[in-house]
Amino acid sequence: MGLLERFQNMDRRWIFAGMALAIVVPLLFPMQIPFRTDKEVIAIHRAVEALSAGSPVLISADFDPASVPELGPFYETHLHHLFQRELRPVVVTLWPTAIPLVLPKLQAIAKEYDAEYGRDYLFLGYKEGRELVIKNIGQNIYQQFPKDYFGTDITEIPVMEARRQAKDFPLFVSISAGFPGLNEYVLQIQGQYDLPMVGACTAVGGPDYIPFYKSGQLIGLSMGMPGSAQYEQLVWNGEPKVGVNLMATSAMDVLNLGHLFIVLLIFMGNLAFFLTRRLEGN
Amino acid sequence: MRTTIPLVLTFIVGVFMVGEFFIPHWGYQQVKSLVLEFGAVVSGVAFFLGVINLVQVNMPVVVGREDDWQYKLILLLSMAAMMVIGLWEGTTRMEDGAAYKWLFDAVFIPLNATMFALLAFYIASAAFRAFRARNAEATVLLLAACIVMLARVPIGEQIPGIGEYLSRFQNWLMDVPNVAGRRAIFIGAALGAVATGVRIILGIERSHLGGD
Repeated sequence: MGLLERFQNMDRRWIFAGMALAIVVPLLFPMQIPFRTDKEVIAIHRAVEALSAGSPVLISADFDPASVPELGPFYETHLHHLFQRELRPVVVTLWPTAIPLVLPKLQAIAKEYDAEYGRDYLFLGYKEGRELVIKNIGQNIYQQFPKDYFGTDITEIPVMEARRQAKDFPLFVSISAGFPGLNEYVLQIQGQYDLPMVGACTAVGGPDYIPFYKSGQLIGLSMGMPGSAQYEQLVWNGEPKVGVNLMATSAMDVLNLGHLFIVLLIFMGNLAFFLTRRLEGN
Repeated sequence: MRTTIPLVLTFIVGVFMVGEFFIPHWGYQQVKSLVLEFGAVVSGVAFFLGVINLVQVNMPVVVGREDDWQYKLILLLSMAAMMVIGLWEGTTRMEDGAAYKWLFDAVFIPLNATMFALLAFYIASAAFRAFRARNAEATVLLLAACIVMLARVPIGEQIPGIGEYLSRFQNWLMDVPNVAGRRAIFIGAALGAVATGVRIILGIERSHLGGD
């Protein structure tokens, strides 16, 4: 019984060490377990594939360094997908910490496709105001962003021609790690303007947003790193462009072992718990 | 007067903004746009007020050498450094080689990512200690958590014999009980928000005014 009690009360540093191994080992020795694609992620892929060449797509990239492992791969893959289809991303953000993460990637990926700023893509930047900014994006983008991030008058930018409101874009993409983000976009403008909208969120936020997908408010939904990995597989079909690193796909092995480790811990902890109770009862 | 004017303003703006969903007249929408613009400006100022508040709260702790004053000092110095460097470099702050970009890439990103990454270890420890099947409810929670954790990753689908069923059951858990529960929470929260909003608009609820 002493062993069981000691096990249940073991120093948590042993758990930390086990978790560290579960994270490091698959990075060093990839398992490459195949995975299927969820219908919610397939819906995002189909929504982009259905757009005609030259269409602008409004993207709200709202994440910070903490959520880059989950949403960064989706953001990058999505930009590749848009440029491959000759679509034109217009990127905005509601998080001040997102600009250094979002803008360099947008510029680097645009350069790979010889996209011209202003004609083929645009970065509107960040504005403080949360739901107020969202309301203005729904009502009048020109009012909220009279100039782009680099100070150019928005009326002079070709990609924004005749695009005054979010509903003037054939697709709206919310890549969101929390507040303000996907939930606020659905609440404030998706219903009011009947926006065709897809979302990408962190895994912890996924259960909150599934009702929006089930009700049709979101056409598609990518949840966490598994969603990003599935989207990578759909876009690249296993053959990424030279220089492209499928980060989420590579990291799925870490998720595999990490989750397995936690489930095993829970199982062993409960086994020890029940054995202890039985022995005490005897 | 101190409470009357804010209450009157709250009532007028609150009723006006509710009306925008029901009155599509172009003149009404123009005024609404103006109000939203005012709100965006006020939000920007509030951001600045937050900085002032941060200094007001932490500076006395540093000056008075109270508990953890060193951490408050680091906080204030870090904030000042990023502000000064960002303002100094202006529009070039995001270019390669800029000090602001270097601080963000080399300091903020690793620290922010580390704080979130630590959660994985604490969750493992907490799950081991807290997930005990002590009663029926705890058992249901435990089983649901384990099934979702296993089935959401590829390794769960590869478990011989039960992998496919695990995945289907996980999908059902997320699509049916989870959606039902979330919708109930959303509706409850929305009704609460409507009630609170009406109370604020009518001046019954005055906590947002602060003071006595």
